[in-house]
Amino acid sequence: MNFLVDLAIVMVSCLALGLASKYLRQASIPAYIIAGIILGKSGLDLITSDASYDFISWLGKIGVILLMFYIGLEFNFKGIKEPRRLFAGCTDFAVNFSVGFLLGIVIGLSLIEAFILASAVYISSSAIVISSLIENKRLIYPEAETVVWLMVFEDIILAILLVVLTSIMAGSLAMIPVSLAATLLLIVFILALIRRLSNFIAPLFERDDEIPILLIFALIFGFSALAYLMGILLHCHISEVIVAFFLGSALSGVKSFRKLFGTIISFKNLFLTIFFFSFGMMFQFQFAALNSADFVLALLALIILSIVGKFVSGAIIGKRLHGSLETGLRVGAYTTPRGEFSVVLIMVVMEIGIPELLPSIELLLSLVVAYVIILSIVGSFFAKHGDKIGKAMMVVANKLIPQAHL
Amino acid sequence: MRISELPEIGTKYEIESPKGDKVAVIFLTTGEIELYVLESDADKPSVTRLTSEEARRLGSVLTGALLSIEQEDVEVSFSEISDLRIHIHLCPVTKNVVGKSIEDLAIRKKTGVTVVAISRKGQSIVSPPPKMVFEEGDLIVAVGKREQIKACQQEILGHG
Repeated sequence: MNFLVDLAIVMVSCLALGLASKYLRQASIPAYIIAGIILGKSGLDLITSDASYDFISWLGKIGVILLMFYIGLEFNFKGIKEPRRLFAGCTDFAVNFSVGFLLGIVIGLSLIEAFILASAVYISSSAIVISSLIENKRLIYPEAETVVWLMVFEDIILAILLVVLTSIMAGSLAMIPVSLAATLLLIVFILALIRRLSNFIAPLFERDDEIPILLIFALIFGFSALAYLMGILLHCHISEVIVAFFLGSALSGVKSFRKLFGTIISFKNLFLTIFFFSFGMMFQFQFAALNSADFVLALLALIILSIVGKFVSGAIIGKRLHGSLETGLRVGAYTTPRGEFSVVLIMVVMEIGIPELLPSIELLLSLVVAYVIILSIVGSFFAKHGDKIGKAMMVVANKLIPQAHL
Repeated sequence: MRISELPEIGTKYEIESPKGDKVAVIFLTTGEIELYVLESDADKPSVTRLTSEEARRLGSVLTGALLSIEQEDVEVSFSEISDLRIHIHLCPVTKNVVGKSIEDLAIRKKTGVTVVAISRKGQSIVSPPPKMVFEEGDLIVAVGKREQIKACQQEILGHG
């Protein structure tokens, strides 16, 4: 009975806030996190039992796995190798990762924590950025293509960052190479196996009954379990979300798989919504922290510097790829929103994190949650008005440096 | 024409006129099609979203396959063969032909018109066999030149 009540609470509150966010033309990701915060531990504490907490978190976890699986499916290894796209992607990473890392060090986080903060701050929200491009009718402009490929590049960096982070959490320095090698081995195994079996599984995906979806979940959970068991055996962590990503990219090569995209997207959307809720729900938001001037100052600095970061990287990319600073500023505005990936990153770290390595995890967590909520909302606004913001910045720039003819 | 892939969105086909106007067609992964038009001096593009059915219709207009559409009469011409004009006519059967077959009526021999399809109770029969007998309520799809269609209507179907 409790499960039903609690699930009803999750679904109804997500539906209500989700609808409200769509009605207000806002990103829905922060709405679901906020729903979780309001109803969860730091809010009204409406979820009745620990069992329910676990259950909801588990459903959310499936959402993260499906998200990474879907990103893997959509990932395009061939297209990303083009030099212009590589240049754009590397610039984006170099500028924005450094901003987060430096600020992390300045506010007194450990090296590893600063690395985590930098990862969360660097990565834009593909979901918000892409739906904003479509809704705001930007697809005809050349920079839309640049932005979309930036998102693809960020996906592969996310996969690498997750591999690095889970390896670091291996426990001891000596275990890092073991963990890394085990992860890579498993990835190669998955890619080879799916390629080997593709003739056998392709017809199964063409069936009209429940077999295709069962097969997908069997593969996803099967390999996740394999990763888990390997981790236990070797005393290290192999991230199941990484496994899901590479499984997705392996399956995208199987011809008949395209047909199932719609189904996978539906499952992903449902469980990912529960994930955002569960993230907000579990999160012990220390409202006291908000009163601390240091926290607010750090948050403000993070917000402002990371927005500036995207504009700087956007400007460099725009100048180089499109020969126009204004186009670059638009790229910056479009890529400002942060969202699902930052949350996924922090969740993965939280799950496997070793307390000794993360002395200020509470601060880091509060910072990232507040940051994602604010930047998903502010970022959507920037993305929506990217053209006006770009124009206004050009006017200001030309006034400040009249002879430059930017 | 420039074709580019937009991951997670779809495929974009883009064309720019000498004046600098741009037209882009985007096939979204959802199966819908967005049509963008951006005039060279405009701030914002005009965009419309079409279903694949609507896009197909629009496409056949753009290729020039459909030149004029009168009520139940479609004239088809091809840009490659400019002197060819084919009329496709849709006419309901009359008392004159019910119970007779295409062969009996000698439609082609007498008028030059070819019956290409018959629509019966909501189902279409394409290229009906000559022995096929017309029933009440059938719709005949006939192809021919304008004069031939006219002759067919007068002599076979018995219109005024």
